[in-house]
Amino acid sequence: MGTFRASDRLAAEELFHACYPRLAGWIRRLVDDDDTAHEIASEAFTRLLARWSSLDNPQSYLYMIATNLIRDHWRRIGRERRALRAVSAAIPAEAVHHPAQDVDVRALIQSLPDRLRQPFLLHYYAGFPVRDVAEMLGRPEGTVKADLHHARARLRAVLGEAHG
Amino acid sequence: MDEPRDDIDTWLEERVTPLLPRPGTFEQVRKRARRRKLGQAAMAVAGAAVVVAGAIAVPRLVLPRHVGETPLASSSSTTPAPQNSTSPPQPSPSATAGPEDGSATPPPPPVSDLVPPNFAASSVTFVSTSTGWVIGQAGTPGHCGPPDPSICTSVARTSDAGRSWLGRPAPVSGAPDGSNGVSQIRSLDGVHGWAFGPQLYATHDGSQTWQRIPTHGMRVTGLETVSGVAFAIWARCAGTGADFAAGCTSFSLYSSPAGQDAWTPVAGVTGLGASGGAPASAQLVLTGSRGYLLAPGGQLFSGPVSSRPHWHPVTSAALPCAPGAAETGGHPLQAMLASTGPGLALLCADQGSGDMQVKTLYYSADGGRTWNPAGPAPARGIAMSLSGTPAGPVLVATSDGIDVSTSAPGHGTVAWRTARGARAPGGYSYVGMTTSDQGVAVPVKLGLDAVWFTYDGGAHWQESPVR
Repeated sequence: MGTFRASDRLAAEELFHACYPRLAGWIRRLVDDDDTAHEIASEAFTRLLARWSSLDNPQSYLYMIATNLIRDHWRRIGRERRALRAVSAAIPAEAVHHPAQDVDVRALIQSLPDRLRQPFLLHYYAGFPVRDVAEMLGRPEGTVKADLHHARARLRAVLGEAHG
Repeated sequence: MDEPRDDIDTWLEERVTPLLPRPGTFEQVRKRARRRKLGQAAMAVAGAAVVVAGAIAVPRLVLPRHVGETPLASSSSTTPAPQNSTSPPQPSPSATAGPEDGSATPPPPPVSDLVPPNFAASSVTFVSTSTGWVIGQAGTPGHCGPPDPSICTSVARTSDAGRSWLGRPAPVSGAPDGSNGVSQIRSLDGVHGWAFGPQLYATHDGSQTWQRIPTHGMRVTGLETVSGVAFAIWARCAGTGADFAAGCTSFSLYSSPAGQDAWTPVAGVTGLGASGGAPASAQLVLTGSRGYLLAPGGQLFSGPVSSRPHWHPVTSAALPCAPGAAETGGHPLQAMLASTGPGLALLCADQGSGDMQVKTLYYSADGGRTWNPAGPAPARGIAMSLSGTPAGPVLVATSDGIDVSTSAPGHGTVAWRTARGARAPGGYSYVGMTTSDQGVAVPVKLGLDAVWFTYDGGAHWQESPVR
């Protein structure tokens, strides 16, 4: 139980080398810095490898874990920022630079409810087909399509307000 | 989902820039996963004991929906590392993934990781001591593919220094045949890679997918990559069949940022030819910061390794020898250049007679401006490839085996020894050292289904069957 078979290890290493750069790059667009992206990507792979033998679609599982970890990260950051604001209203805005559009849309995606955000990230952002997203989330395909439609409508509306 | 295009699309369609793992990440992840697995097992045992002792009904753990045995989506990474590279370099900040890595692109389908039978390797590349790719022809023509049963070009990857190999997707292009096909392979970091000779293909997702790069009728006879940039020799050639690099009369150096397929001529090194327009060859050598082009006329050009470089002749004087004709892989046969230790090595070889050839080694400690003889190399065997090492000694692959200098050139005449275990019939077409200790060699003869490795600086070699 505790150790990988050699063939498992090879397969896991293959998957790691093939998927890590894109997964970490994907995460990087959703978090604030490279360190956090590496941290989340590594944690996702750790959880994946810890239950390696019971998975038949490791790549989907990987992105599911990463999506949840990103959500947790956003919540933690939100709590910390609220706490900071409570302590001192004079603390300057964060000095990290991001492309404006990335931050705008990221903030909007953060504001989506979990139910809409998960399928949005997995389908539009990670590139999984609707059918796969439906299986990953345990929802009917039609429900996922509707969730995606609602997510886009909300984002479009907010963007329209912001730019209008 | 047919939705109208809007700002959301614009944002989503921006490419994801890959973020390479830091060195040692996989090992850390593997160890952490193992600890957690052991912890889960211990908790399960403790839980079972509680159930037995107290006859308590414990709710069943609900596993995720994807439960079953493990057909993996396999994948990988790689390139021929520059000889002085010991760890995969990071991509340049501007590096982006190819079109297949667009953020809205579905993940690639799983591929078989079986190495096809009869793998005749023609080129190999390593980005670290453990990870390398090999390209060659494998399987039985007419029964290869998909997608084309007549195309048998295959790629395999090792992540344990050649102890085992896994099949990878390959460019859909056959063996070299005039201006078509591919035979050589290089990778920057295991993500970005190129197959060439004579056509040019690129992968930006660790060999999962390959895209053809138009070369406007020219043939790519050499390619090297370092520091986020790829350089390639594009030539106008008339060779037919497998001799794709024969009859080449005009050579230009091109470069592209590794993550973009944006190939442009390198200023100062275009339209080069041998005197009188004779067919010739050229060779490219990259160090971490500078590149060197051994031009067909015997001049040495040099320039920075950057995305918009300008290269110049190192000196107005010609080198002690000119490259002459190319062997079938595109490497020169009469002059071979290598970066070694702090300097450059040049092997000059005559036309040869039978299995014997006069070979003289030269060394330059000043970036190719001046050259000093470092003595003859063993006469037995026709020289095919020269490799340097970070520590300084050089290796020569010949039709007879591999010769290794016992010291770094630059201090008088060097002595040589014949490598043990390098016994491929017909010798080796390529030798390259990943570190001062570890290197790899490709046999001349097809049908041996193996490459050879050394782990002690070239003194001993062992066969690694590609299967």
